[in-house]
Amino acid sequence: MRSAVASPPPGLAPGRARDDGAAIVRIAALKKTFGDLEAIRQMSFDVADGEFLSVLGPSGCGKSTLLMMIAGLIDPTAGEIRIQDAKVAGPRREVGVVFQSPVLLPWRTVLQNVLFPIELLKLPRAQYRRRAMDLLRMAKIDEYAGLLPRQLSGGMRQRVAVCRALVHDPSILLMDEPFSALDAITRDEMAVELQRIWQVNRKTVIFVTHSIREAAFLSDRVVVMGRRPATIIDELAIDLPRPRHIAVTEDQTFNRLVRHLRKAIEASHAE
Amino acid sequence: MRNNVGKYAATIAWPSLVTALILVAWELSVRALGIRSIILPPPSAVFETMAQRHDLLFAHLWPSLYLTVLGFVLSVIGGIVVAVLITYSAIVRKGFYPVIVVSQVIPKISIAPLFIVWFGTGTMSSLLLAFLVAFFPMTINAAMGFESIDEDIHRMARTFMGSRWQIFWKIRMPNALPYIFGGMKISITLAIIGVIVSEFVASQEGIGYLIKLAGGLLDTPLMLAAIVALSISGLALYAIIAAAESWAVYWQPPPEAVGVGGG
Repeated sequence: MRSAVASPPPGLAPGRARDDGAAIVRIAALKKTFGDLEAIRQMSFDVADGEFLSVLGPSGCGKSTLLMMIAGLIDPTAGEIRIQDAKVAGPRREVGVVFQSPVLLPWRTVLQNVLFPIELLKLPRAQYRRRAMDLLRMAKIDEYAGLLPRQLSGGMRQRVAVCRALVHDPSILLMDEPFSALDAITRDEMAVELQRIWQVNRKTVIFVTHSIREAAFLSDRVVVMGRRPATIIDELAIDLPRPRHIAVTEDQTFNRLVRHLRKAIEASHAE
Repeated sequence: MRNNVGKYAATIAWPSLVTALILVAWELSVRALGIRSIILPPPSAVFETMAQRHDLLFAHLWPSLYLTVLGFVLSVIGGIVVAVLITYSAIVRKGFYPVIVVSQVIPKISIAPLFIVWFGTGTMSSLLLAFLVAFFPMTINAAMGFESIDEDIHRMARTFMGSRWQIFWKIRMPNALPYIFGGMKISITLAIIGVIVSEFVASQEGIGYLIKLAGGLLDTPLMLAAIVALSISGLALYAIIAAAESWAVYWQPPPEAVGVGGG
């Protein structure tokens, strides 16, 4: 039903992978069924190295399933995912994941939580301790390094989770609706923070969300997933200059983009 | 902080006051009604007996406590080992676990005479009975602790390529600690019961034997003195575990009320 989708707003290029940098993640003819339930019908797209890509779609459309397959936690039914030209057959070192909830270990301090991947991957702890502290400083939570998770607010905990996902210096960061449990104000704040962190680190980010504004604000490109069984119903490049301030969301261009994405999703609902 | 201290003092003060009132009422009514010491001695007589015959009390208390602690420690180790098997082996989980659960309908105390037949009237019977009664709550609690892992935490560890071994030691074990301590608090009280019952049935020493002996001699003050000594020891063992818990499970906020003497 691509025809039902409005054409991209004037002055903006139609969405496609950025030309600079080769594709680091390639998703080809991906399909996933759970028993009789067809979650993802057919899906192919590339993600460029250093790109911030959002996967936007309604709740329960299979976005998280897609992300879990990229993370190597679930196997696809058909098709394949390649990361840096290697087929994904399980969790990989060059990937870091941020989940919907912070999933911190309550018995570990903030710093120990951030260093948890280092222990699991058996990397030199002393060496990465500095990196962990740098990340905490970048996320503006270094003063809480010695506290336990229960002493932090929801937004702080999710910042810790982002630091943890980055500590082993992965080239790809997967984020599964990481801010969905936060209040609206904290959410906006986290989006600005995430952009800042991304601009420093320049990881490839695949960001799953059901928030149109969040996708438009953060991304270089947005792919829109339709309802189950999911396919990609639209793709849009977001060519707004960076760094973007929260004020950009009041911009005309920004709102044109948001309208375009909303129409794409509404069109999929109308089917 | 000050408020906490106040709260703690209040949780201690009220029960202490009630206990004191009961003791005073007991003392006064026994005197006023002229109840004979064989039937019910006043608390003052009980404490006097404890002071006078402390050698005898301690001589019988130590072997019982020794067996209690030994049976308890064995049940903790055994319970954790079996809980690990339940967690990781489908055969144990599906085959043995239900049998262990169903076997709990047997009142284990009733096995005491059988143990005497098998293992004699010595310490072995007491130890085994203590172990047997304390083992089950340890096993279930530890198994629950190992299994009640948040699915997301498990996933998170897998994305960082955590091995089964790492997931056990770094996630399942600390996660199970509060459950294990919960099981220990139940087990220690049960271990005491196991030892005492075994001593009731047949033995030549131990606080259970002393209680039975004093009963036979109609020495009620001694009997009550032995019961009080046993209760204080039980409370002390429980308090040690509770203290170890708040040290080991440091990440959980302390419970509202200090629940000493449960089970």
